[in-house]
Amino acid sequence: MKEIKLFLGPQHPGMHGNASIHMYVDGDIINRAYLLPGMLHRGFEKSMERRTWMNNIALIPRICVPEPDTNEMVFAMNIEALANVEVPERAHWIRMLILELARLSAHLMAFGGCGGPTGLYTAMYWAQADRDLILTLFEEITGQRIYHMYIVGGGVRKDLPKGIEKKILDFVDDLERRLPDYEDLILNNPSILARIKDNIMLPAEVVWELGVTGIGMRSATGLEYDLRKVTPYARYDKVEFDVPTATYSDAYARLNIKYLEMYQIIRIIRQVLDMMPGGKVRAKVAEGSALRWRIPKGQVYSAVEASRGEYGYYTVSTGETMPYRVAVRGASFPQGLLGIEKYLPGHRIDDAPLWFDTMGVCSPEIDR
Amino acid sequence: MNNNIETFVEDIKSKYETLGVDIPKNNQVSLDFTARDIHSVLAYAKSHGWAQLSMLTCVDWIEENKLQLVYLLFNWENGVRLQVRTKLDRDKPVFSTITSIYPGAKYYERDVHEFFGVEFEGNPESYKPLFLENWDDMPPLLKDFDPQAYSDEKYPAREYEKDFTKKAGEK
Repeated sequence: MKEIKLFLGPQHPGMHGNASIHMYVDGDIINRAYLLPGMLHRGFEKSMERRTWMNNIALIPRICVPEPDTNEMVFAMNIEALANVEVPERAHWIRMLILELARLSAHLMAFGGCGGPTGLYTAMYWAQADRDLILTLFEEITGQRIYHMYIVGGGVRKDLPKGIEKKILDFVDDLERRLPDYEDLILNNPSILARIKDNIMLPAEVVWELGVTGIGMRSATGLEYDLRKVTPYARYDKVEFDVPTATYSDAYARLNIKYLEMYQIIRIIRQVLDMMPGGKVRAKVAEGSALRWRIPKGQVYSAVEASRGEYGYYTVSTGETMPYRVAVRGASFPQGLLGIEKYLPGHRIDDAPLWFDTMGVCSPEIDR
Repeated sequence: MNNNIETFVEDIKSKYETLGVDIPKNNQVSLDFTARDIHSVLAYAKSHGWAQLSMLTCVDWIEENKLQLVYLLFNWENGVRLQVRTKLDRDKPVFSTITSIYPGAKYYERDVHEFFGVEFEGNPESYKPLFLENWDDMPPLLKDFDPQAYSDEKYPAREYEKDFTKKAGEK
């Protein structure tokens, strides 16, 4: 058959995010493929050099839409490392609560999101409805649903509202009760299994070649390589949780790990609410008003475990009121660009969106 | 900093000409080298457990007239992060690719070429545009690029026939 050129996305109902895959197909088999990023390039790195340290908090959550809190966290961690500030104990625990709720909402979106490319829309609707309940909790805690601007240098913006602990516990109890329904709907569904079992493989040696982190790495290598365990930030060394792994990474294994991780997130949230101490939630980072902070000179990199892998910022300060340079390491950069070019060929066209979903590709963080 | 890192840093110092060592935070070491040592340092680090290249990025030090390349490596065994850095001449930034050591660097090099104009010899694809479509100016993350001036020139303020800025009822 003749090879034809095909663009999948950026405006395509089966496509995840605003990116386009430029592919050459023979029948419905992909011969060559490239990601065409840049649809969401908004020049964040340049914009951040032109805003004060505090103003940037309003800008950076937009770099990754489904899980914006990791941006605030790594930026705040860099500020604290440069200014050598000790964060109050309670703020660490509140940060963990926020990060885990954000991870839960991102996992729900990706886990249910596999319904889009496979035609199982029920999964999508269920997951979005549950994610919306988390957004309501966020609205109560931070005042915003999507972009929270809550974690700032030195701690968090304000204390938790009264009575939120019970609402969070009620929600996680309810979700935990219903998670087996998700398993029945997606992971035990023969028509989904036909698409995800032994499909879209990620062998262990490819992980090291591309530099994939997160669930991709853990599902292929069987190693518990999670930044929360390897270099604990906040107070992750004080809570107990397991890191699910696998040694055979197909789309099923990665979705299954997402599913198992949701139980671990719920376990962490319960411990955090149980062990959270009282006290202040914000420490002073520098002299004067927050809009005139001068952060001491230095070059530092901080990373956290996002739902898709290692997410980090490299921050350079020259002691001014604005950062000199901030570079963003999007967690899905390796699998989104090099992974698609090298390992998507050979799959069918309708597997491309499944690659995006199960590898956890988030196009705004690639484009920045 | 535990003993492993100290011995590693001492080892690196004895083998290569180290221009500077700094510990910006726990479990993180930054090392400065001359450009010709970078490849052997990266290969040495990779063989000693720093199997992952987290990122390659660049910083424009316009006052010194230098561009600084930063290779961020991570060791999953002991959780230590290395910043391997070098400075290039800003007027003619040319370096060679590290894709033979870390294949994942391919797109990071393309990214740095697009935003800073650094040329990576040996990576032919690094010259292709990636994020910016039909870009016709200097690399945009250089410090002497002014986005406001570019935008004013490229998208001049429109002349409107009617004045819509008045309030309702006002003449």
